[in-house]
Amino acid sequence: MATSSRTAPPTGRRSAPSRSGAPRSGASRTLVALGVGVVVVTALFLVDAYAPTFFAQPLPTRAQDGLTLALSVLIESLPFVILGVLLSIIVQVWVPPGAIERWMPRAPWARRAVLSLLGMFIPVCECGNVPFARGLLMRGFGVSDTLTFLVAAPIVNPIVIISTHAAFGFSDGILVARLIGGYLVANLIGWLYSRHPDPDKLLTERFLETCEIVVQERGDRGRRTLAQFVVELRSVMPALIIGSLLAGAVQVLVPRSALLAIGSDPALSIAAMMVLAIVVSLCSNVDAFFALSFASTFTPGSIVAFLVVGPIIDLKMMALLRTTFTTRVLAGMTVVVVLFAFALGTVVNLLV
Amino acid sequence: MSRTGSLATRWLGVGLTTCLSITTITLWITGRMSLYINPDSAWFAVGMSIVALIGAVASFALPLGAEADHGHDHEHGHATAAAGARREAFAHADHAHRDPLDEHDHAAHDHLAARPRLTPGGIAAFTGGVLASGAVIAVLLTPAASLSTGLAVSRDVGAPPLFAGSDVVTLAASGDTSKFGIGDWSAVFAHATNPETFDGKPVTLTGFITPGGDGATFDLTRLVITHCVIDAQTARLPIAASVDAPSTGQWVTVTGTVRSSGDGKLEVRADQVASIDEPADPYEY
Repeated sequence: MATSSRTAPPTGRRSAPSRSGAPRSGASRTLVALGVGVVVVTALFLVDAYAPTFFAQPLPTRAQDGLTLALSVLIESLPFVILGVLLSIIVQVWVPPGAIERWMPRAPWARRAVLSLLGMFIPVCECGNVPFARGLLMRGFGVSDTLTFLVAAPIVNPIVIISTHAAFGFSDGILVARLIGGYLVANLIGWLYSRHPDPDKLLTERFLETCEIVVQERGDRGRRTLAQFVVELRSVMPALIIGSLLAGAVQVLVPRSALLAIGSDPALSIAAMMVLAIVVSLCSNVDAFFALSFASTFTPGSIVAFLVVGPIIDLKMMALLRTTFTTRVLAGMTVVVVLFAFALGTVVNLLV
Repeated sequence: MSRTGSLATRWLGVGLTTCLSITTITLWITGRMSLYINPDSAWFAVGMSIVALIGAVASFALPLGAEADHGHDHEHGHATAAAGARREAFAHADHAHRDPLDEHDHAAHDHLAARPRLTPGGIAAFTGGVLASGAVIAVLLTPAASLSTGLAVSRDVGAPPLFAGSDVVTLAASGDTSKFGIGDWSAVFAHATNPETFDGKPVTLTGFITPGGDGATFDLTRLVITHCVIDAQTARLPIAASVDAPSTGQWVTVTGTVRSSGDGKLEVRADQVASIDEPADPYEY
């Protein structure tokens, strides 16, 4: 982002002649704008530092717990979202046209097979993947190709492999089943949606409008970088916050024992762990450690189902995906992933 | 796009990000990051928050509404094809880049500008925006808080936590248990194959009181966190004490020894139970 603050003043200078004719006034206007920005940020810092002294203990315990949980998810996922927005700016504004496309295989299934391994090189976990995938779509990547990447990347990803290995080792084939399962379900979803006759119908109208505007955006790269920064954060942040609030609220309101009463039944345990995965909305980098604490009471198949479903469709992720894909696509994806994970869990339970 | 619309775009995107980044950085400066996330990953959260703040300040240099602007300067002459057309081209694996058409589609822009507010979608988007803003402002105005002890109890599922795999148990058997917290000990208590090894180990542990099960005076409980508060798991140790148990939820420091109770179970025999205020770091990582 240092680049953008460096390139911002030239933006003002270049557009200035057409507006006022005096080159310097554009630059100074930019400086004033940046000054206002610094003042606003400083003021918010002061508010954050001093306002709490007037509001000691204003919330009832449950609401406070829900807010605490939601905020912890937000603080944890915010850096990944910002990283994802930066990556999306890079693919949309800074990588020349054709530079990525040239390296992609031509056959659709091979292209999806390669894209589902992209997560190995871009290890942002699931919340960062959404803005990055939007950048890919704006570049002109196919909808089904992008879906394949979105589903596979949070599972087939070096950090996730390391953390899952640290938690489970190779016991019960959990690590292997998770990786292969994630890879297969991603390609399955990609293949299903590649058969759709009109892929643009899979995207929300709002996202298509954003695409039109972003693609036709001219002007120098600094300006486009800033515009993309503003537009992407606007699309992702409200969804992220609402998703986190939902996750926090559900955790406070639904007693965990209600889910876990069904421990070791082979079929019911898989269903219970999938519901738990959707509800708790954990980041895929750490969900293995969370699942580990259930390993002693739950079947290995249900743990695998938890580890496959969680990164793809949890509450927070659905709110984020809804910014880009229609409700129908989300419902379809959920059905496919749940059925697939259930089958995978059953196979693991039978084999182990 | 109207001025109000542009302002809303800025607030819901850059504005909310800025508030959360400021919260993150303030928590880090005041040393309260461990109330929400594992301090080991604080560098990433704080680093990216600083990046976000730099971007937010820079975004003030972008004129209001410019993000939805086509940039009506045609002097560059190199029009880009609409995303749909490019997607189409890419889907057909036609890598020779055909010269894009200048489909300057103003319809999309006009549609966005004239977006009607009173549709179900518009109302939902508005409500969502208000909710998200309300939550972020609440976060900014209220002090940082830890989870209530009541939630810790309701989260207890009876399954002993096994945080770092069996490493803890192996490590414990090799001798050094001085750095062990309640989470480590509860894993040892649940999974140790030879409990006698631990008989007589001295412990000093801090946690809060929950009602004890079979035979224990009370359980010493603490939330153990791997990454952030939402993955908090309840760890508890049975404590046998000669004094009466303080009330549930009271924070205490217990000094005592680990004893094997003969039937293969372990418990902590407390020499001293001292009531304390909630510590600044209420969770174990």
